[in-house]
Amino acid sequence: MTPPDASSALPFEDRISPLARFTSASRALGRFFRQKRLGGFGLVIVLVFSVLALFAGALGRYDSTFVFDAENPNFKADPTVAELAEDPDIGSPRVVAQYQAPSGDHWFGTDRFGRDIYARVIHGAKLAMIIGFGASLIAVAAGLIIGVISAYYLGWIDLIVQRVMDAIYAFPFLILILLLVQISEPSTRNVVFALGFGGIPFAARLIRSAVLAVRGSEYVQAARVIGASDLRIMLRHVLPNIGAVLIITFSIGIGAYILAEATVSFLGAGPRGEISWGRMVSSGRGELDIHPWESVFAGGAITLLVMAFNLLGDALRDVLDPRLRGV
Amino acid sequence: MQQYILRRAILNIFVLWIVATLVFFAVHVLPGNFAAQQFAGANLGGVTPEAIARAEAVLGLDKPVFEQYGTFLWDLVQFDLGESFRSKRSVWHELGRAVPYSIELGVLIVLVGFTIAIPVGIISAVKQDQLPDYLLRGGAIFALAAPVFWTASIGVILVLQWDLFKIDVDGQPHLWEDPRLALQWYLIPMFAGGIASTATTMRLLRSQMLEVLREDYVVTARAKGLPERTIILRHVLRNAWLPVLTVMGLTVATIIGSQIVLEQMFNVPGVGRLLFQAITLRDTPLLEGLVLVVAFVVVFTNLFVDLLYGLLDPRVRLA
Repeated sequence: MTPPDASSALPFEDRISPLARFTSASRALGRFFRQKRLGGFGLVIVLVFSVLALFAGALGRYDSTFVFDAENPNFKADPTVAELAEDPDIGSPRVVAQYQAPSGDHWFGTDRFGRDIYARVIHGAKLAMIIGFGASLIAVAAGLIIGVISAYYLGWIDLIVQRVMDAIYAFPFLILILLLVQISEPSTRNVVFALGFGGIPFAARLIRSAVLAVRGSEYVQAARVIGASDLRIMLRHVLPNIGAVLIITFSIGIGAYILAEATVSFLGAGPRGEISWGRMVSSGRGELDIHPWESVFAGGAITLLVMAFNLLGDALRDVLDPRLRGV
Repeated sequence: MQQYILRRAILNIFVLWIVATLVFFAVHVLPGNFAAQQFAGANLGGVTPEAIARAEAVLGLDKPVFEQYGTFLWDLVQFDLGESFRSKRSVWHELGRAVPYSIELGVLIVLVGFTIAIPVGIISAVKQDQLPDYLLRGGAIFALAAPVFWTASIGVILVLQWDLFKIDVDGQPHLWEDPRLALQWYLIPMFAGGIASTATTMRLLRSQMLEVLREDYVVTARAKGLPERTIILRHVLRNAWLPVLTVMGLTVATIIGSQIVLEQMFNVPGVGRLLFQAITLRDTPLLEGLVLVVAFVVVFTNLFVDLLYGLLDPRVRLA
């Protein structure tokens, strides 16, 4: 322990030892799991998907682009011309293993091109995670700047900023995203930016109301009285006190961004060259009557991950700031 | 009151102007347009920059951006949305054909949504923290997360597996032309869209009812021995359902979003499908017109809901 006179010169946070921090953090996590079972369930699924996304190569069992083949059940060594006309593959002993049902070899079956659906679902987790975290980060960062400025200065700045936010809000989210993706190149980066941009009004609104609450507090008034600059007040007094709202805003939007990307990809406008669950559902629609597996499993993965993020976000909100219930 | 309506309406028009400006500059300033898109699709040998420039001149895309913006706004003030690049018909004409389909499907989705959400919300609140509540809330969490195109695909799979009915119907019938055939066509999309829209309504109704259930007048009603049914329907539900109205604006926006997907999936020639085509083809006038109409519906639904709220609940005063 350092003598009290020396430590009091340090800011309060720096006086807590790393060990105490660790134990208090792990205790808080334990409490979270006990009190918020659904949130804990969400957290576990999110972690599982994160591991799958990070180690997709090892956990996916197969290469996501490898084309499997299988023995041709209709194989004939010397087919006649008429038989060949009816089934062009009849002369080859092995054919592409397309539309296979789930089995020990292919847990989720194979798709139209004979690729392993399980491997593709696992690899698809990468895109979903990048989209979810990336878009939410952009929305919160931009929403932070807009929300703080709008709520701190109020007046006509606030009025105009809020009307622009209303205008973006009046676009149904999906239309906005489709529009933005279509006018730019449909790459992963652009889709992330489009989704993040679409999420700004939502983030800015939450952050603005949090700043409004802090703004009226006595410590902000006191800081102003001793002559602190606007920037100093925003960084030293406002920002540290809206941390909980920032975490909530960040976590609660992720599910919606993943869902939106899946929808855009389903419509065929998603990021090119990536494995997207939304596009898998779409490509599986060709033969739904004989082979529903690709659509079912890819869509199931979307649902499960979005659900997990929603549950986690709700639980974090309840723990960190119960007043925000219902947003 | 009248002043309030006027002020809100003016603000809404201001918002619509921002929407119009955003769409206009989004589609005009960024590279690529209808002319270029057309040639990109057609694999012609003689596509020269001059050919594209000529096509742009025909469509008026070669003029300075601000001149185009001025013309666009001036036409807009006169309610002239211009004509579609692709069909060469006026945007109003295109809307006239598409809107009935979208309203039909939209109303069906809302009907399904409320038919599920209201009883589910009531049961969930009355049986708070009991098994039915857990199951129903679990269902809501699931419905909120499941993409509408997935639930619709599951619907298609089920219908195909048991050979229940034919999903692709001929002639795109309206409900008033051939109710049976139209319903057959709309059945899967209306349930998929309806289920997706229930979760928000159901959760809100539940939390509102739980709040009202704690009120003194509910205790009084219990004390004087009213049957539980009467208490729930007459005292609780009556006071709890109003706030549910406030999310209608939000619900409308969600439903329009899911209609883009559902109309595309089930070949319904509605506004959502038209909008998607306009976006992919860069059919600028059609796109601008449709986005404005959709934004108009969203902002004025919100205004309408707020007014209705004040009308139905005298406790809410409009400031």
